[in-house]
Amino acid sequence: MTDTATVSLNEDQRDCYQELTNVAMGQAADRLARLLDSYVVLPIPKVNLIEANDLRMAIQEVETESAMSAVCQGFIGSGIAGEALLLFNDTSFSDLANLMNYDGELDRHGQLELLMDVSSLLIGACIQGIGEQLEIHFNQGHPVVLGQHCRVDELLQNSVNPWTKTLAIEIHYTMEQANIDCDLLLLFTEDSVAKLNNKINFLLD
Amino acid sequence: MADSNIEIGDIHWLMAILQNIDVGLVVLDRNYNIQLWNGFMESHSGLSPQVVSGQNLFDQFHEIPRDWFMKKAEPVFQLKTRTFTIWEQRPYLFRFKNYRPITGRASVMYQNTSIIPLESIDRSVNHICLIIYDVTDIAVSRADVETAQQSLSERNRTDILTGLNNRSYWQEEADIIYRQCQNTGVSSTLLMLEIDDFRNLQRSRGHRTADEVIRSLSHCLMETVQQEDLLCRYDGEVFALMLNGVNSDDARIYADHICKRASEVCFEPIGEGITLSIGMATFSTSYNGVDDWLQAADKAMYHARESGGNRVSVFASGSK
Repeated sequence: MTDTATVSLNEDQRDCYQELTNVAMGQAADRLARLLDSYVVLPIPKVNLIEANDLRMAIQEVETESAMSAVCQGFIGSGIAGEALLLFNDTSFSDLANLMNYDGELDRHGQLELLMDVSSLLIGACIQGIGEQLEIHFNQGHPVVLGQHCRVDELLQNSVNPWTKTLAIEIHYTMEQANIDCDLLLLFTEDSVAKLNNKINFLLD
Repeated sequence: MADSNIEIGDIHWLMAILQNIDVGLVVLDRNYNIQLWNGFMESHSGLSPQVVSGQNLFDQFHEIPRDWFMKKAEPVFQLKTRTFTIWEQRPYLFRFKNYRPITGRASVMYQNTSIIPLESIDRSVNHICLIIYDVTDIAVSRADVETAQQSLSERNRTDILTGLNNRSYWQEEADIIYRQCQNTGVSSTLLMLEIDDFRNLQRSRGHRTADEVIRSLSHCLMETVQQEDLLCRYDGEVFALMLNGVNSDDARIYADHICKRASEVCFEPIGEGITLSIGMATFSTSYNGVDDWLQAADKAMYHARESGGNRVSVFASGSK
Protein backbone atom coordinates (compact mmCIF):
# COMPACT_ATOMS: atom_id res chain seq x y z
CA MET A 1 0.00 0.00 0.00
CA THR A 2 1.37 3.34 -0.95
CA ASP A 3 -1.11 5.04 1.29
CA THR A 4 1.41 7.54 2.58
CA ALA A 5 -1.31 10.18 2.52
CA THR A 6 1.06 13.07 2.12
CA VAL A 7 -1.05 16.07 2.80
CA SER A 8 -0.49 18.85 0.36
CA LEU A 9 -2.09 22.14 -0.44
CA ASN A 10 -1.46 24.35 -3.46
CA GLU A 11 -2.20 28.04 -3.65
CA ASP A 12 -5.47 27.62 -5.55
CA GLN A 13 -6.70 25.13 -3.04
CA ARG A 14 -5.72 27.38 -0.18
CA ASP A 15 -7.63 30.29 -1.72
CA CYS A 16 -10.58 28.05 -2.28
CA TYR A 17 -10.70 26.91 1.34
CA GLN A 18 -10.42 30.49 2.41
CA GLU A 19 -13.26 31.54 0.14
CA LEU A 20 -15.36 28.63 1.29
CA THR A 21 -14.91 29.62 4.90
CA ASN A 22 -15.54 33.27 4.08
CA VAL A 23 -18.87 32.46 2.51
CA ALA A 24 -19.80 30.20 5.39
CA MET A 25 -18.90 32.88 7.87
CA GLY A 26 -20.76 35.51 5.90
CA GLN A 27 -23.92 33.48 6.06
CA ALA A 28 -23.43 32.76 9.72
CA ALA A 29 -22.41 36.27 10.71
CA ASP A 30 -25.65 37.77 9.52
CA ARG A 31 -27.68 35.34 11.56
CA LEU A 32 -25.37 35.55 14.55
CA ALA A 33 -25.61 39.34 14.52
CA ARG A 34 -29.37 39.16 14.57
CA LEU A 35 -29.37 36.69 17.43
CA LEU A 36 -26.75 38.51 19.49
CA ASP A 37 -27.84 41.98 18.49
CA SER A 38 -24.24 42.90 17.92
CA TYR A 39 -22.19 43.10 14.79
CA VAL A 40 -19.74 40.31 14.25
CA VAL A 41 -16.53 41.48 12.64
CA LEU A 42 -16.00 39.15 9.73
CA PRO A 43 -12.69 37.46 10.24
CA ILE A 44 -10.34 36.50 7.47
CA PRO A 45 -9.77 32.80 7.90
CA LYS A 46 -6.27 31.44 7.80
CA VAL A 47 -5.75 28.18 5.98
CA ASN A 48 -2.62 26.26 6.82
CA LEU A 49 -1.09 22.87 7.04
CA ILE A 50 -0.06 22.53 10.63
CA GLU A 51 2.15 20.07 12.45
CA ALA A 52 0.95 18.04 15.39
CA ASN A 53 3.44 19.90 17.53
CA ASP A 54 1.93 23.28 16.70
CA LEU A 55 -1.41 22.07 17.88
CA ARG A 56 0.01 20.51 20.99
CA MET A 57 1.63 23.80 21.86
CA ALA A 58 -1.55 25.73 21.25
CA ILE A 59 -3.55 23.41 23.44
CA GLN A 60 -0.94 23.23 26.15
CA GLU A 61 -1.20 26.95 26.40
CA VAL A 62 -4.80 26.44 27.35
CA GLU A 63 -3.70 24.07 30.06
CA THR A 64 -0.99 26.23 31.55
CA GLU A 65 -2.71 29.55 31.21
CA SER A 66 -5.73 29.26 33.42
CA ALA A 67 -7.06 32.25 31.56
CA MET A 68 -7.99 30.11 28.59
CA SER A 69 -10.78 27.65 28.02
CA ALA A 70 -11.33 25.28 25.15
CA VAL A 71 -14.14 23.23 23.72
CA CYS A 72 -13.76 20.60 21.06
CA GLN A 73 -16.37 18.91 18.98
CA GLY A 74 -16.03 16.19 16.41
CA PHE A 75 -17.79 16.28 13.07
CA ILE A 76 -18.06 13.77 10.27
CA GLY A 77 -19.81 13.52 6.93
CA SER A 78 -19.20 11.75 3.61
CA GLY A 79 -16.04 10.22 4.99
CA ILE A 80 -14.61 13.60 5.90
CA ALA A 81 -13.86 13.83 9.58
CA GLY A 82 -12.39 16.41 11.81
CA GLU A 83 -12.66 18.36 14.97
CA ALA A 84 -13.58 21.89 15.74
CA LEU A 85 -11.63 23.47 18.55
CA LEU A 86 -12.71 26.71 20.13
CA LEU A 87 -10.04 28.45 22.16
CA PHE A 88 -11.47 31.11 24.34
CA ASN A 89 -9.84 33.85 26.32
CA ASP A 90 -11.37 33.95 29.79
CA THR A 91 -11.16 37.72 30.02
CA SER A 92 -14.00 37.76 27.52
CA PHE A 93 -16.46 36.07 29.84
CA SER A 94 -18.04 39.14 31.37
CA ASP A 95 -18.55 40.81 28.00
CA LEU A 96 -19.87 37.64 26.59
CA ALA A 97 -22.33 37.29 29.45
CA ASN A 98 -23.71 40.73 28.61
CA LEU A 99 -23.96 39.89 24.98
CA MET A 100 -25.75 36.62 25.55
CA ASN A 101 -28.03 38.17 28.19
CA TYR A 102 -26.70 35.76 30.73
CA ASP A 103 -27.59 37.02 34.18
CA GLY A 104 -26.45 34.14 36.36
CA GLU A 105 -23.27 34.13 38.39
CA LEU A 106 -20.07 33.80 36.39
CA ASP A 107 -18.61 30.99 38.45
CA ARG A 108 -17.17 27.84 36.92
CA HIS A 109 -20.59 26.55 36.11
CA GLY A 110 -21.71 29.83 34.63
CA GLN A 111 -18.64 29.92 32.45
CA LEU A 112 -19.27 26.40 31.24
CA GLU A 113 -22.81 27.37 30.36
CA LEU A 114 -21.60 30.33 28.31
CA LEU A 115 -18.83 28.36 26.72
CA MET A 116 -21.27 25.72 25.56
CA ASP A 117 -23.69 28.28 24.15
CA VAL A 118 -21.02 30.16 22.27
CA SER A 119 -19.32 27.07 20.95
CA SER A 120 -22.62 25.66 19.75
CA LEU A 121 -23.24 28.85 17.82
CA LEU A 122 -19.81 29.44 16.37
CA ILE A 123 -18.87 25.87 15.60
CA GLY A 124 -22.31 24.97 14.32
CA ALA A 125 -22.60 27.99 12.05
CA CYS A 126 -19.23 27.43 10.50
CA ILE A 127 -19.44 23.69 9.94
CA GLN A 128 -22.91 23.97 8.57
CA GLY A 129 -21.90 26.75 6.18
CA ILE A 130 -18.96 24.80 4.83
CA GLY A 131 -21.02 21.64 4.59
CA GLU A 132 -23.75 23.33 2.58
CA GLN A 133 -21.32 24.59 -0.05
CA LEU A 134 -19.61 21.24 -0.40
CA GLU A 135 -22.92 19.40 -0.23
CA ILE A 136 -21.82 17.40 2.73
CA HIS A 137 -24.09 16.78 5.65
CA PHE A 138 -21.89 16.87 8.73
CA ASN A 139 -22.96 15.07 11.86
CA GLN A 140 -21.65 16.57 15.06
CA GLY A 141 -20.77 14.80 18.26
CA HIS A 142 -21.33 16.27 21.68
CA PRO A 143 -18.95 19.02 22.67
CA VAL A 144 -16.26 18.26 25.22
CA VAL A 145 -14.76 20.89 27.45
CA LEU A 146 -11.00 20.50 27.49
CA GLY A 147 -8.90 20.92 30.55
CA GLN A 148 -11.79 20.63 32.95
CA HIS A 149 -11.98 16.91 33.16
CA CYS A 150 -9.09 15.65 31.15
CA ARG A 151 -5.45 16.48 30.91
CA VAL A 152 -4.87 17.98 27.53
CA ASP A 153 -1.36 16.68 26.95
CA GLU A 154 -2.51 13.13 27.60
CA LEU A 155 -5.39 13.70 25.29
CA LEU A 156 -3.07 14.36 22.40
CA GLN A 157 -0.40 11.83 23.33
CA ASN A 158 -2.83 8.96 23.54
CA SER A 159 -4.32 9.80 20.21
CA VAL A 160 -5.04 6.54 18.41
CA ASN A 161 -4.18 7.96 15.03
CA PRO A 162 -0.88 9.70 15.28
CA TRP A 163 -0.63 12.33 12.60
CA THR A 164 2.12 14.63 11.64
CA LYS A 165 0.61 17.26 9.45
CA THR A 166 -2.92 18.26 8.72
CA LEU A 167 -5.19 20.94 7.35
CA ALA A 168 -6.30 23.63 9.75
CA ILE A 169 -8.69 26.48 9.12
CA GLU A 170 -8.31 29.15 11.73
CA ILE A 171 -10.89 31.82 12.35
CA HIS A 172 -10.25 34.60 14.79
CA TYR A 173 -13.48 36.11 16.03
CA THR A 174 -13.88 39.57 17.38
CA MET A 175 -17.04 41.46 18.01
CA GLU A 176 -17.88 45.12 17.75
CA GLN A 177 -18.78 46.81 21.03
CA ALA A 178 -17.49 43.93 23.04
CA ASN A 179 -14.16 42.66 24.23
CA ILE A 180 -14.50 39.21 22.82
CA ASP A 181 -11.56 37.27 21.67
CA CYS A 182 -11.67 33.69 20.53
CA ASP A 183 -10.18 31.37 17.98
CA LEU A 184 -11.97 28.65 16.13
CA LEU A 185 -9.81 25.92 14.64
CA LEU A 186 -11.22 23.43 12.19
CA LEU A 187 -8.91 20.46 11.97
CA PHE A 188 -9.34 17.68 9.47
CA THR A 189 -7.87 14.22 9.71
CA GLU A 190 -5.06 13.45 7.31
CA ASP A 191 -7.10 11.04 5.23
CA SER A 192 -9.92 13.55 4.98
CA VAL A 193 -7.73 16.16 3.36
CA ALA A 194 -7.38 14.19 0.15
CA LYS A 195 -11.14 13.78 -0.09
CA LEU A 196 -11.68 17.43 0.71
CA ASN A 197 -9.15 18.43 -1.94
CA ASN A 198 -11.10 16.36 -4.46
CA LYS A 199 -14.25 18.23 -3.61
CA ILE A 200 -12.41 21.52 -3.84
CA ASN A 201 -10.83 20.64 -7.17
CA PHE A 202 -14.29 19.97 -8.47
CA LEU A 203 -15.29 23.49 -7.45
CA LEU A 204 -12.12 24.94 -8.95
CA ASP A 205 -12.71 23.38 -12.38
CA MET B 1 -33.27 7.20 1.11
CA ALA B 2 -34.09 10.81 0.34
CA ASP B 3 -34.75 10.23 -3.33
CA SER B 4 -36.59 6.93 -3.04
CA ASN B 5 -40.33 6.82 -2.88
CA ILE B 6 -41.37 5.88 0.59
CA GLU B 7 -44.36 3.66 0.64
CA ILE B 8 -46.85 3.12 3.39
CA GLY B 9 -45.22 -0.15 4.33
CA ASP B 10 -41.87 1.58 4.68
CA ILE B 11 -43.34 4.23 6.93
CA HIS B 12 -44.62 1.45 9.10
CA TRP B 13 -41.19 0.07 9.80
CA LEU B 14 -39.61 3.50 9.98
CA MET B 15 -42.08 4.26 12.74
CA ALA B 16 -41.19 1.01 14.45
CA ILE B 17 -37.53 2.07 14.50
CA LEU B 18 -38.45 5.49 15.86
CA GLN B 19 -40.54 3.86 18.52
CA ASN B 20 -37.95 1.31 19.60
CA ILE B 21 -34.67 3.17 19.29
CA ASP B 22 -33.06 3.57 22.67
CA VAL B 23 -32.60 7.30 22.57
CA GLY B 24 -35.24 9.89 23.36
CA LEU B 25 -36.80 11.75 20.44
CA VAL B 26 -39.07 14.75 20.93
CA VAL B 27 -40.32 17.12 18.26
CA LEU B 28 -41.37 20.60 19.33
CA ASP B 29 -43.13 23.29 17.34
CA ARG B 30 -42.36 26.99 17.40
CA ASN B 31 -44.30 27.42 20.65
CA TYR B 32 -42.57 24.51 22.33
CA ASN B 33 -45.61 22.29 22.12
CA ILE B 34 -44.82 18.60 21.89
CA GLN B 35 -45.49 17.10 18.45
CA LEU B 36 -43.69 13.79 18.69
CA TRP B 37 -42.82 11.65 21.67
CA ASN B 38 -41.15 8.34 20.97
CA GLY B 39 -41.19 5.08 22.89
CA PHE B 40 -38.07 5.89 24.90
CA MET B 41 -39.69 9.09 26.18
CA GLU B 42 -42.95 7.32 26.89
CA SER B 43 -41.31 4.53 28.85
CA HIS B 44 -39.11 6.74 30.96
CA SER B 45 -41.63 9.48 31.66
CA GLY B 46 -44.63 7.21 32.07
CA LEU B 47 -46.58 9.62 29.86
CA SER B 48 -48.05 8.35 26.63
CA PRO B 49 -47.87 10.35 23.39
CA GLN B 50 -51.63 10.87 23.59
CA VAL B 51 -51.22 12.63 26.93
CA VAL B 52 -48.34 14.91 26.04
CA SER B 53 -49.13 15.57 22.39
CA GLY B 54 -49.88 19.24 21.81
CA GLN B 55 -48.96 20.07 25.40
CA ASN B 56 -46.43 22.75 26.17
CA LEU B 57 -43.04 21.34 27.13
CA PHE B 58 -42.54 23.67 30.08
CA ASP B 59 -46.02 23.07 31.50
CA GLN B 60 -45.52 19.34 31.39
CA PHE B 61 -41.95 19.24 32.68
CA HIS B 62 -41.24 21.76 35.39
CA GLU B 63 -37.66 20.53 35.75
CA ILE B 64 -36.77 22.26 32.47
CA PRO B 65 -36.07 25.95 33.07
CA ARG B 66 -37.81 27.87 30.30
CA ASP B 67 -35.23 30.65 29.92
CA TRP B 68 -32.31 28.29 29.98
CA PHE B 69 -33.80 25.95 27.45
CA MET B 70 -34.88 28.71 25.10
CA LYS B 71 -31.32 30.02 25.01
CA LYS B 72 -30.33 26.68 23.51
CA ALA B 73 -33.37 26.22 21.31
CA GLU B 74 -33.91 29.67 19.79
CA PRO B 75 -30.66 29.57 17.80
CA VAL B 76 -31.85 26.31 16.31
CA PHE B 77 -35.00 27.96 14.99
CA GLN B 78 -33.27 31.17 13.95
CA LEU B 79 -29.90 29.98 12.67
CA LYS B 80 -30.90 26.51 11.57
CA THR B 81 -27.92 25.27 13.49
CA ARG B 82 -27.67 22.49 16.02
CA THR B 83 -27.07 23.13 19.67
CA PHE B 84 -26.06 20.78 22.42
CA THR B 85 -26.28 20.41 26.14
CA ILE B 86 -23.99 18.14 28.11
CA TRP B 87 -24.44 16.56 31.53
CA GLU B 88 -21.63 18.65 33.02
CA GLN B 89 -23.80 21.70 32.41
CA ARG B 90 -27.02 20.27 33.68
CA PRO B 91 -27.18 16.60 34.67
CA TYR B 92 -30.46 16.03 32.90
CA LEU B 93 -33.14 17.76 30.88
CA PHE B 94 -35.95 15.38 31.81
CA ARG B 95 -35.91 13.97 35.28
CA PHE B 96 -35.89 10.25 34.52
CA LYS B 97 -34.86 7.40 36.76
CA ASN B 98 -31.62 5.57 36.13
CA TYR B 99 -32.09 2.95 33.44
CA ARG B 100 -30.62 0.42 35.88
CA PRO B 101 -32.71 1.12 38.98
CA ILE B 102 -31.25 -1.77 40.99
CA THR B 103 -27.53 -1.91 40.29
CA GLY B 104 -27.03 1.60 38.94
CA ARG B 105 -25.28 3.94 41.33
CA ALA B 106 -26.96 7.17 40.33
CA SER B 107 -30.59 7.83 41.10
CA VAL B 108 -31.23 9.83 37.95
CA MET B 109 -30.43 9.38 34.29
CA TYR B 110 -27.66 11.72 33.19
CA GLN B 111 -28.37 13.10 29.75
CA ASN B 112 -26.63 14.74 26.84
CA THR B 113 -28.97 16.32 24.36
CA SER B 114 -28.78 17.52 20.79
CA ILE B 115 -31.29 20.01 19.47
CA ILE B 116 -31.55 19.87 15.71
CA PRO B 117 -33.56 21.97 13.25
CA LEU B 118 -36.24 20.29 11.14
CA GLU B 119 -36.72 22.09 7.86
CA SER B 120 -40.16 22.26 6.27
CA ILE B 121 -40.65 21.93 2.53
CA ASP B 122 -40.31 25.72 2.21
CA ARG B 123 -36.96 25.46 4.06
CA SER B 124 -38.17 27.36 7.07
CA VAL B 125 -37.64 25.84 10.48
CA ASN B 126 -40.90 25.53 12.37
CA HIS B 127 -39.99 22.45 14.30
CA ILE B 128 -37.01 21.28 16.25
CA CYS B 129 -36.06 17.81 17.38
CA LEU B 130 -34.65 17.02 20.78
CA ILE B 131 -32.46 13.94 20.96
CA ILE B 132 -31.86 12.64 24.45
CA TYR B 133 -28.88 10.37 25.13
CA ASP B 134 -28.46 8.39 28.33
CA VAL B 135 -24.91 9.06 29.55
CA THR B 136 -25.32 7.89 33.15
CA ASP B 137 -22.51 5.34 32.90
CA ILE B 138 -20.08 7.97 31.65
CA ALA B 139 -21.03 10.40 34.40
CA VAL B 140 -20.77 7.77 37.12
CA SER B 141 -17.42 6.44 35.97
CA ARG B 142 -16.10 9.99 35.67
CA ALA B 143 -17.08 10.58 39.28
CA ASP B 144 -15.43 7.28 40.24
CA VAL B 145 -12.19 8.28 38.60
CA GLU B 146 -12.18 11.58 40.41
CA THR B 147 -12.84 9.94 43.77
CA ALA B 148 -10.13 7.38 43.11
CA GLN B 149 -7.63 10.04 42.15
CA GLN B 150 -8.40 12.00 45.27
CA SER B 151 -8.05 9.04 47.60
CA LEU B 152 -4.85 8.01 45.83
CA SER B 153 -3.30 11.39 46.32
CA GLU B 154 -4.40 11.40 49.96
CA ARG B 155 -2.97 7.94 50.46
CA ASN B 156 0.24 9.03 48.85
CA ARG B 157 0.79 11.73 51.42
CA THR B 158 -0.40 10.03 54.58
CA ASP B 159 1.39 7.92 57.14
CA ILE B 160 -0.77 4.88 57.70
CA LEU B 161 -0.15 4.38 61.42
CA THR B 162 -0.72 7.94 62.58
CA GLY B 163 -2.68 9.60 59.80
CA LEU B 164 -0.08 12.36 59.80
CA ASN B 165 1.71 13.48 56.66
CA ASN B 166 4.30 11.02 55.50
CA ARG B 167 7.91 11.84 55.01
CA SER B 168 7.93 12.39 51.25
CA TYR B 169 4.98 14.74 51.29
CA TRP B 170 6.45 16.57 54.27
CA GLN B 171 9.72 17.05 52.45
CA GLU B 172 8.00 18.58 49.44
CA GLU B 173 6.15 21.02 51.65
CA ALA B 174 9.18 21.73 53.83
CA ASP B 175 11.06 22.61 50.68
CA ILE B 176 8.49 25.30 49.94
CA ILE B 177 8.95 26.73 53.44
CA TYR B 178 12.72 26.60 53.01
CA ARG B 179 12.46 28.68 49.87
CA GLN B 180 10.09 31.11 51.56
CA CYS B 181 12.65 31.62 54.30
CA GLN B 182 15.29 32.23 51.67
CA ASN B 183 13.20 34.73 49.77
CA THR B 184 11.44 36.59 52.53
CA GLY B 185 13.98 36.40 55.33
CA VAL B 186 11.25 35.30 57.74
CA SER B 187 12.72 32.55 59.86
CA SER B 188 11.11 29.22 60.57
CA THR B 189 12.28 26.55 62.95
CA LEU B 190 12.61 22.84 62.39
CA LEU B 191 12.20 20.36 65.24
CA MET B 192 13.08 16.68 65.22
CA LEU B 193 11.45 14.76 68.03
CA GLU B 194 12.34 11.25 69.14
CA ILE B 195 10.81 9.05 71.83
CA ASP B 196 13.53 8.12 74.33
CA ASP B 197 14.35 4.47 74.83
CA PHE B 198 11.82 3.38 72.28
CA ARG B 199 13.56 0.07 71.62
CA ASN B 200 13.22 -0.78 75.30
CA LEU B 201 9.56 0.06 75.20
CA GLN B 202 9.09 -2.19 72.19
CA ARG B 203 10.91 -5.04 73.89
CA SER B 204 9.14 -4.78 77.21
CA ARG B 205 5.62 -3.91 76.07
CA GLY B 206 5.49 -5.34 72.58
CA HIS B 207 5.19 -3.73 69.18
CA ARG B 208 1.50 -3.18 69.36
CA THR B 209 1.70 -1.12 72.52
CA ALA B 210 4.66 0.76 71.12
CA ASP B 211 2.62 1.60 68.04
CA GLU B 212 -0.15 2.85 70.30
CA VAL B 213 2.31 5.15 72.00
CA ILE B 214 3.40 6.56 68.65
CA ARG B 215 -0.21 7.16 67.76
CA SER B 216 -0.94 8.84 71.09
CA LEU B 217 2.07 11.10 70.74
CA SER B 218 1.00 12.11 67.26
CA HIS B 219 -2.42 13.12 68.64
CA CYS B 220 -0.70 15.04 71.39
CA LEU B 221 1.48 16.87 68.86
CA MET B 222 -1.40 17.57 66.55
CA GLU B 223 -3.27 19.28 69.37
CA THR B 224 -0.44 21.69 70.02
CA VAL B 225 0.66 22.70 66.52
CA GLN B 226 -0.79 25.56 64.51
CA GLN B 227 -2.44 25.06 61.20
CA GLU B 228 0.43 26.59 59.24
CA ASP B 229 2.94 24.26 60.87
CA LEU B 230 4.01 21.11 59.15
CA LEU B 231 4.15 17.85 61.06
CA CYS B 232 5.05 14.38 59.91
CA ARG B 233 6.08 10.99 61.21
CA TYR B 234 9.58 11.03 59.84
CA ASP B 235 10.73 7.54 60.60
CA GLY B 236 9.86 4.98 63.27
CA GLU B 237 9.62 6.90 66.53
CA VAL B 238 10.94 10.13 65.02
CA PHE B 239 8.72 13.07 64.14
CA ALA B 240 9.64 16.17 62.18
CA LEU B 241 7.89 19.44 62.83
CA MET B 242 8.37 22.63 60.86
CA LEU B 243 7.23 25.62 62.86
CA ASN B 244 6.37 27.94 60.01
CA GLY B 245 7.37 31.54 60.64
CA VAL B 246 8.49 30.85 64.22
CA ASN B 247 11.83 32.23 65.39
CA SER B 248 14.24 30.34 67.63
CA ASP B 249 13.09 31.96 70.91
CA ASP B 250 9.45 31.09 70.43
CA ALA B 251 10.33 27.66 69.07
CA ARG B 252 12.40 26.99 72.16
CA ILE B 253 9.45 27.83 74.39
CA TYR B 254 7.26 25.52 72.36
CA ALA B 255 9.83 22.70 72.37
CA ASP B 256 10.29 22.92 76.14
CA HIS B 257 6.54 22.89 76.53
CA ILE B 258 6.04 19.80 74.40
CA CYS B 259 8.92 18.02 76.13
CA LYS B 260 7.37 18.71 79.54
CA ARG B 261 3.88 17.86 78.42
CA ALA B 262 4.88 14.49 76.96
CA SER B 263 6.45 13.51 80.26
CA GLU B 264 3.37 14.57 82.23
CA VAL B 265 0.54 13.35 80.04
CA CYS B 266 -0.53 9.84 80.80
CA PHE B 267 -0.17 7.73 77.67
CA GLU B 268 -2.98 5.26 78.06
CA PRO B 269 -1.33 2.15 76.66
CA ILE B 270 1.52 2.37 79.16
CA GLY B 271 -0.14 4.32 81.96
CA GLU B 272 2.57 6.96 82.21
CA GLY B 273 4.29 9.76 80.36
CA ILE B 274 7.15 9.42 77.90
CA THR B 275 10.26 11.47 77.48
CA LEU B 276 11.47 13.04 74.27
CA SER B 277 14.76 14.13 72.82
CA ILE B 278 14.15 17.20 70.72
CA GLY B 279 16.60 18.75 68.28
CA MET B 280 15.97 22.25 67.09
CA ALA B 281 17.38 24.20 64.13
CA THR B 282 16.24 27.62 63.03
CA PHE B 283 16.62 28.58 59.39
CA SER B 284 20.02 29.83 58.38
CA THR B 285 21.23 30.95 54.99
CA SER B 286 24.11 28.51 55.40
CA TYR B 287 21.73 25.58 54.81
CA ASN B 288 22.06 24.39 51.30
CA GLY B 289 18.56 23.03 50.92
CA VAL B 290 16.05 21.47 53.25
CA ASP B 291 18.15 18.32 53.64
CA ASP B 292 20.93 20.36 55.22
CA TRP B 293 18.44 21.89 57.55
CA LEU B 294 17.08 18.47 58.51
CA GLN B 295 20.55 17.25 59.20
CA ALA B 296 21.19 20.16 61.54
CA ALA B 297 18.05 19.39 63.54
CA ASP B 298 19.00 15.72 63.50
CA LYS B 299 22.41 16.50 64.95
CA ALA B 300 20.80 18.55 67.70
CA MET B 301 18.44 15.66 68.44
CA TYR B 302 21.38 13.29 68.64
CA HIS B 303 22.98 15.65 71.11
CA ALA B 304 19.83 15.73 73.24
CA ARG B 305 19.69 11.94 73.25
CA GLU B 306 23.37 11.55 74.12
CA SER B 307 22.93 14.01 76.97
CA GLY B 308 20.42 11.67 78.58
CA GLY B 309 17.22 12.52 76.74
CA ASN B 310 14.15 14.36 78.00
CA ARG B 311 15.57 17.64 76.82
CA VAL B 312 15.79 20.12 73.98
CA SER B 313 19.04 20.79 72.16
CA VAL B 314 19.54 23.68 69.83
CA PHE B 315 21.73 23.37 66.80
CA ALA B 316 24.35 26.06 66.79
CA SER B 317 26.17 26.55 63.52
CA GLY B 318 29.76 25.47 63.93
CA SER B 319 28.83 22.62 66.24
CA LYS B 320 29.54 19.21 64.91
